[in-house]
Amino acid sequence: MTLISEKTKSSEGDQMEKMDIHIFSDRCAGCQECVVRCPTNALKMDSLSWTVVAEDELCVGCRQCERTCPFTAIKINGPVMVDVRIKQEHFKPMSIDHNADELRLPIKSFEDAKKEAMRCLDCPDPTCLRGCPAHNDIPSFIRAVREGNLQEAHSVLSRTSVLPDVCSRVCDQATQCEGSCSWSLAGKQPVAIGLLERFITENADFLPLEKGNKATGLEVAIIGSGPAGIAAATELVKQGAKVTVFEKDSTPGGLITWGIPDFTLPHEVAKRPWDRLINEGVNLKVNTEIKEAEVNDLLGNYDALIIACGASQPIKLPVEGGDLKGVVDATTFLKNGQEAINNGSSISEIEVLGLKGVSSPHILVLGAGNTAMDVARTARRLGASVRAIDWMDQKFAPVRPDELAEAKSEGVEITFSSTLVSLTGNNGRVSTAKIAKTTQTSAKELPKVQSGSTSDEKVDLVVMAMGYRVDPDIQKALNGAPIRKKPAEKVDRRWIASGIFANPAPEFARGQNVGVISLSREIANQLSMIPRRPRMWVVGDALIGPATVVEAMAHGRDAARAIITHKPSKSGGSEVGLYATKTAKVLIAVESRGGTTLKIGEAIQKRISSSDVEVRVQKLNTITMEDIAWADHLILGTWVEGFVVAKVGLPKFTKAWLKTLPPLGGLPTSIYVTYSFNPKDVLGNLAKELEGKGAKIQSKEAFKTTLGGTVDLSGIDNFASSITGQKKGAAKVTTR
Amino acid sequence: MTITEASQVGDEVKGESPSTISGATGSQRVAVRLRKPYETDVEQRFRLTDPSKGLELSKNKHVRRVLKNRKFQFFLILPNQIVFWGVIFLGILGTVNPDLNFATAITWFLWFALVFVMMVVVGRAWCVMCPFGGFAEWIQRKSFWNRTQKALGLGRKFPESIAKYGLITSVGTFLLLTWLEEFFNIAGPGNPEATSIMVIGIVISAVTFFMVFERRTFCRYVCPLSALIGSVGAAGTAAGFRTKDRDKCLNCKTKECMRGGDEGFGCPWYTWPGSADSNLTCGLCSECYKACPSDNVGFFIQKPLTSMIAPLRRRADVAWSVLLLWGLVVFQQFNAVSLYGTIDNWLNTKMHFPQYPNPVDYIGIIFLVTLIMAGIAWVGSKAMKKDAVQLDLSGSPVNFAGAKASSKTIKHSFVDKKSQFRSFMLPLSYGLIPVVGADYFARQLPKFFLNVLKLVPDVGAWFGIGGGTNAKLFNAEILSGNQIVAVQVGVIIVGMLASLYAMRKIIKRDIVPFATSPFATKLVAYGTVLACGVGASWLYVMMHAAT
Ligand SMILES: Cc1cc2nc3c(=O)[nH]c(=O)nc-3n(C[C@H](O)[C@H](O)[C@H](O)COP(=O)(O)O)c2cc1C
Ligand code: SF4
Ligand code: SF4
Ligand code: SF4
Ligand code: SF4
Ligand code: SF4
Ligand code: SF4
Repeated sequence: MTLISEKTKSSEGDQMEKMDIHIFSDRCAGCQECVVRCPTNALKMDSLSWTVVAEDELCVGCRQCERTCPFTAIKINGPVMVDVRIKQEHFKPMSIDHNADELRLPIKSFEDAKKEAMRCLDCPDPTCLRGCPAHNDIPSFIRAVREGNLQEAHSVLSRTSVLPDVCSRVCDQATQCEGSCSWSLAGKQPVAIGLLERFITENADFLPLEKGNKATGLEVAIIGSGPAGIAAATELVKQGAKVTVFEKDSTPGGLITWGIPDFTLPHEVAKRPWDRLINEGVNLKVNTEIKEAEVNDLLGNYDALIIACGASQPIKLPVEGGDLKGVVDATTFLKNGQEAINNGSSISEIEVLGLKGVSSPHILVLGAGNTAMDVARTARRLGASVRAIDWMDQKFAPVRPDELAEAKSEGVEITFSSTLVSLTGNNGRVSTAKIAKTTQTSAKELPKVQSGSTSDEKVDLVVMAMGYRVDPDIQKALNGAPIRKKPAEKVDRRWIASGIFANPAPEFARGQNVGVISLSREIANQLSMIPRRPRMWVVGDALIGPATVVEAMAHGRDAARAIITHKPSKSGGSEVGLYATKTAKVLIAVESRGGTTLKIGEAIQKRISSSDVEVRVQKLNTITMEDIAWADHLILGTWVEGFVVAKVGLPKFTKAWLKTLPPLGGLPTSIYVTYSFNPKDVLGNLAKELEGKGAKIQSKEAFKTTLGGTVDLSGIDNFASSITGQKKGAAKVTTR
Repeated sequence: MTITEASQVGDEVKGESPSTISGATGSQRVAVRLRKPYETDVEQRFRLTDPSKGLELSKNKHVRRVLKNRKFQFFLILPNQIVFWGVIFLGILGTVNPDLNFATAITWFLWFALVFVMMVVVGRAWCVMCPFGGFAEWIQRKSFWNRTQKALGLGRKFPESIAKYGLITSVGTFLLLTWLEEFFNIAGPGNPEATSIMVIGIVISAVTFFMVFERRTFCRYVCPLSALIGSVGAAGTAAGFRTKDRDKCLNCKTKECMRGGDEGFGCPWYTWPGSADSNLTCGLCSECYKACPSDNVGFFIQKPLTSMIAPLRRRADVAWSVLLLWGLVVFQQFNAVSLYGTIDNWLNTKMHFPQYPNPVDYIGIIFLVTLIMAGIAWVGSKAMKKDAVQLDLSGSPVNFAGAKASSKTIKHSFVDKKSQFRSFMLPLSYGLIPVVGADYFARQLPKFFLNVLKLVPDVGAWFGIGGGTNAKLFNAEILSGNQIVAVQVGVIIVGMLASLYAMRKIIKRDIVPFATSPFATKLVAYGTVLACGVGASWLYVMMHAAT
């Protein structure tokens, strides 16, 4: 690490300032949270006082130690020693007219890439990769770049990502990987992770898929060929599954082909994944829209179904005049506009827009988000004058400033705090838009229209680009999805330990709390591993509403991996031993107050563990959705609380926990309770509740315990063998 | 396809323990490669202070249940809380006769004596039930017992410039409080109203500190009793809350005991059970016990005196606290002797200071005693090797590689600095703890024996029964003056013997291996203990059981 610190120390202006690591030895408990995370190994232990001691010369001032010390016992005085970040260069075409060239330029040379890679600290507990929704192993691929091994870097990327070439171009790195980089959390410019990722994909060979056979024999259907579908299909064919993908459009790729213009994501890059998948033998059925009514048929014909249909229905603003001619949605505009740019045809030639004879039309775009900017910039390339209006205050609008700046430099006029009131037309075609000013005082509150602030604007075309939602027809099949992503109620303590929450508003992340948003992404991601109905997984925008390419990709990947491990079968619940590679995984989730219920759980574990059956006992409060997704069979154990006869029921925490459960998709589940006096109907009620969540109840048992905590062991034997289906040490567990 | 294998690149990775947070579906979701914690000889490092496995009280089912219960501390605080609010109200509203007023009576006749007994026996037992910190903590946590996630208040860090002196601040506030107490004759027992005001003052400052600073910063650094309880408590039998399996802690990825977990708060006292070698800074609140998800904390007892004899880390703040506290108790004895009255009067006239105790002689005597003790230590240190500064423990029963190598290059702050003087002064001060503790205890005895029975008529007086000042119990004394002196001297002798015993062990490990003249060091060390014991006893005789 010395190399890196010397390098970085020598190159910035304020480098001469001295580094001083101050350890409050009175309060330092020697827990070594800082020691294990310091990227430069500047912290060591003094074994006599059992406190940390520092080597100032090695420190680069990243403040990771400050962020992770549980007792605030360490303070870094001195500069943040990091070299200047590489600049994102832009291509500036002479004229944007019909120009589809990619605007954000890649890193110019390997030298520059290595230099940028030098800025990475190779953090032991890298916050960047928690910020990346796909959890790309960022320090490892950057290390490979530093060492000049691009092929290795590419293969590191391919472990977690099938679309690194796409993601590196379209991700909003500021609120993802880069915003969570150690340097960003320390208030400086993070490593240009996105640019490096792109550099690798552009300069290393396109990797052939690493083949396996873990899914041989599985037949899987996927609805949707966008990023989530691509990732799922790739994971599955890699392991030998037979994959069929249904796409309602005529070309595959979904959002990444029609939704993102070429100047951001070139056509060759966007179509590459599908070229490969077709080569690998994925059965692609284009122009095939799956309706809700057909979902059950698919489940009958395939072992598993992944719904990755995205959120493709444009949201329409319900205003007066909204159905006049000349009011179109973003999808229509983008699909046709991109085509016109590629063909060199003019905007007046696009039939659906009805602009015949108007050579340079004035277009009003509703919205200033991602899609709206893509619409506006496409329109500019077709010679239109464009104004985009957004009803939110710019302070609170979820927009990317880099994108806004690019759009403005291309001549797009953007007005925030303005909303469309009504449209009036001429001969059935829109001609005037009535626009009002709005006010908004906080991000949580919706903007309010200011009375008496309206003005009229002459328009030739109005494009509604306020966003998308899941098609209501297919939504009926999704069992409650799309869900709302929300901040974690219970924060994973490993995330706290990493220090990602320690700076709630890094400047580079535009003041957003990267820890909170990363973790809420992660929690939603974990849900993509659990089927929402038996053998049916829902991923991407269909699961969480309109989100990002990288999240959709991660979902698709993880649902596919869940299918590969659990191997569902259309011919009914699969059994252990059906596939040679399979072992059953049993999760025993326990709430225990005095320890009896836990002891019983451990006794059950002993009885059903075998070489084919892996059993984990975990306390209820430590169980994540990932653990649920891991299990082929869930055993829930809890105790009976009450006043002997009155108010007998489940303990409070178990009740609360059951409420947080997502649909369980037919997870085979057994339950037991322990009681001293009378369990009443607690067991039955618990079963009912779980069934309501979609669990398949297999065995249930109430164990009587004396208050001293002794239990009849023969009861446990019976319970265990009812789960395994055999007398002792059985290898047969019913799984999905 | 494990991500971890790919990480073994170059020497930067040396010593890291690649680990990943493995995913549900067999894939590795988050690649984390924490460095390996420093754990060479860790068992050795803590061997001497680790209580034996057999002495874990929390193995008992009932103890376990009580300690796991979130209301555990609440129910310990509650009775004290009631008594102290009683003190506040009765002190102001009740009779002005301090002997008859419940406030003064319970505070000075019973409570102080009890705190000292508890201190000597179970260390910080008082802290777990303390109504001052307890009250402020309820506010800070916005809850009487529930685990809440967000604290009320500013959550500031205590300024390092003060914090680095550890317990010394607490000695400072204790000296201040004692002076105020003497000046206003609060404990004399003089003044119920002043007693109330003092208690209110403590509550207000506690609440203020809890609202400005994080956790129990007040208890750890400011509370007047903290240094006394912490250092004297080292003689006690409570080992407190300690790690059961050290490897598990060192490799624990989350440290709930420090940061807080689902069931418990992060340690309010900034103590990690994984490195605790005494309960010097552990308030016995049981939060870590509740918070640890791997059930890796136990509640242990130990042989008396262990926490003074065994720790390898001898903290300078503890040592100086012991000497300063010794100075204070000597002052409190000396001020009952007529010679002191003469000096104090003379100074007061010279300085136009209204009354006893003159701050100059108060501080002067305390510092003088402290300096004399330090001087003795300085003399003793002349018989130590100069390079003992390095505190090479190779000659001791504990021998671990890291200590020697690191101690040369490291700049330590006040608490851990090394010097020839400290190489003798620190062990010596630790050895004096029992005799100092005994002296504080003995000092409380007259008040207790002469007055504690007054509490019965005092309580009766609320209901108008018991005869008030005419009651038999009001004028009853458990022991006569001469008997009390005998008990006091007895207590000192017990303390002195304990000190001699401890000192013998301390000398053997921490002094003799580094001494140029072991005989001289022994002479100074034992001589100091004897001198302190004899001096204190003599003063008690001179005092004639004065309160
Ligand atoms: C607060 C409390 C209330 C209880 N109420 C009932 C009850 O109403 N009926 C009953 O049969 N057992 C009752 N029990 C007994 C427990 O269900 C039984 O002891 C159980 O085995 C405890 O499991 P544990 O040791 O895993 O916590 C109660 C126990 C407690 C602690
Ligand atoms: S600031 Fe960074 S490099 Fe310096 S000691 Fe802390 S963690 Fe290590
Ligand atoms: S994290 Fe804090 S308490 Fe732990 S060893 Fe480092 S400085 Fe000390
Ligand atoms: S996928 Fe996106 S978030 Fe992840 S590392 Fe690449 S650019 Fe960053
Ligand atoms: S990218 Fe940033 S957070 Fe990630 S390993 Fe490098 S320096 Fe650390
Ligand atoms: S006591 Fe528990 S939470 Fe604390 S470090 Fe040890 S194992 Fe981790
Ligand atoms: S170490 Fe444990 S018991 Fe002691 S003060 Fe800290 S949390 Fe409380």
